Amino acid sequence: MKVHEFMSTKIEFVDAEKSVYDAVERMVDRRIRSVVVEFSGKEPEYGVLTSRDIVFKVLAKGINPKKIKVSEIASKPVACIDINMDFEDAAKMMEQSNIARLFVCDEGRIIGLISLLDVMAAELVAIARGNHDS
Amino acid sequence: MILEKLLSHGKKERDVTEDIKRHIGLLCTACDTFKTAVERDDPDLMENVIQLEREGDSVRREVISHIYEGAFLPYLRPDLCKFVEIVDEVFDLLKDTAFYHLSTRLPERIKDDCIRVALLNFRMCEMLLITYEAMLKGEDLREKTLAIRIYEKKVDDLKYDLFEEAKKVEIDTFWEGRMLADLISGLTTISDIIEDASDHLQIIYVSMR
Repeated sequence: MKVHEFMSTKIEFVDAEKSVYDAVERMVDRRIRSVVVEFSGKEPEYGVLTSRDIVFKVLAKGINPKKIKVSEIASKPVACIDINMDFEDAAKMMEQSNIARLFVCDEGRIIGLISLLDVMAAELVAIARGNHDS
Repeated sequence: MILEKLLSHGKKERDVTEDIKRHIGLLCTACDTFKTAVERDDPDLMENVIQLEREGDSVRREVISHIYEGAFLPYLRPDLCKFVEIVDEVFDLLKDTAFYHLSTRLPERIKDDCIRVALLNFRMCEMLLITYEAMLKGEDLREKTLAIRIYEKKVDDLKYDLFEEAKKVEIDTFWEGRMLADLISGLTTISDIIEDASDHLQIIYVSMR
């Protein structure tokens, strides 16, 4: 099964120059655990900011989230998988990089996200389809 | 196995089981055609979906009349008819959704998600056919019905985002908005009915054991 069939498209992008406070506002409002950080440039360049980054690197250290830019704590580059790859490839990439989420990219642009839960769901569907898969 | 005996004996029974397979197969074709029509924004293909619904209607009538002409034991007939009626509900909703698509323009900002839902609906139909074939062979349906529930959950996840995005679309007239809302609603409800059909297969399976 191709990753695009089961990916989530609920992705929020935030500009690298925005404050962490802006990112937190977006994440809480949309009930999501991470945002994609967009760095300006000719080619798309992305980073990722997770709730873990925000809590550990900013809030736990008593730093004012309004006074720190997203670009200062975001991780990059992001782990991407091509839209035409299979879930088996995604599982291998996740295992090799020890990560729980992978971004789905189409010609360098992020268009979706797959999690460990998506990989498990895809595996259950593949088992149910047996040899019927098209 | 009792199930195999119940389903394989007699020409009438075989005719009915083959017709039901044809009915679900037609639904798969209709869902696939719908998806391609949305992708290509092709009104002729969308008209084909409406045509396929009519074909599905006539297969449904054949199945029901064959059942009441004496196929299967009487206690099984209502459940089989109910299953065929549920599949027909999917056809009806798909036809209505095709009509809404023909009557309105699909905004670019929700087009990709609509295509994804259409693909998931098609995959669910394929899975329904696989589940039905497994039932005829007397196989356990647990894995199959679980796969259908997983697909349905995926459509549900997309549903609310689709409506949220749709709120941002500029609408000129009441009917334009109404058609768009009905289009999204129809597209995202198809999976619920396919799930009902799969649940009903499970009931038939259990009742025949």
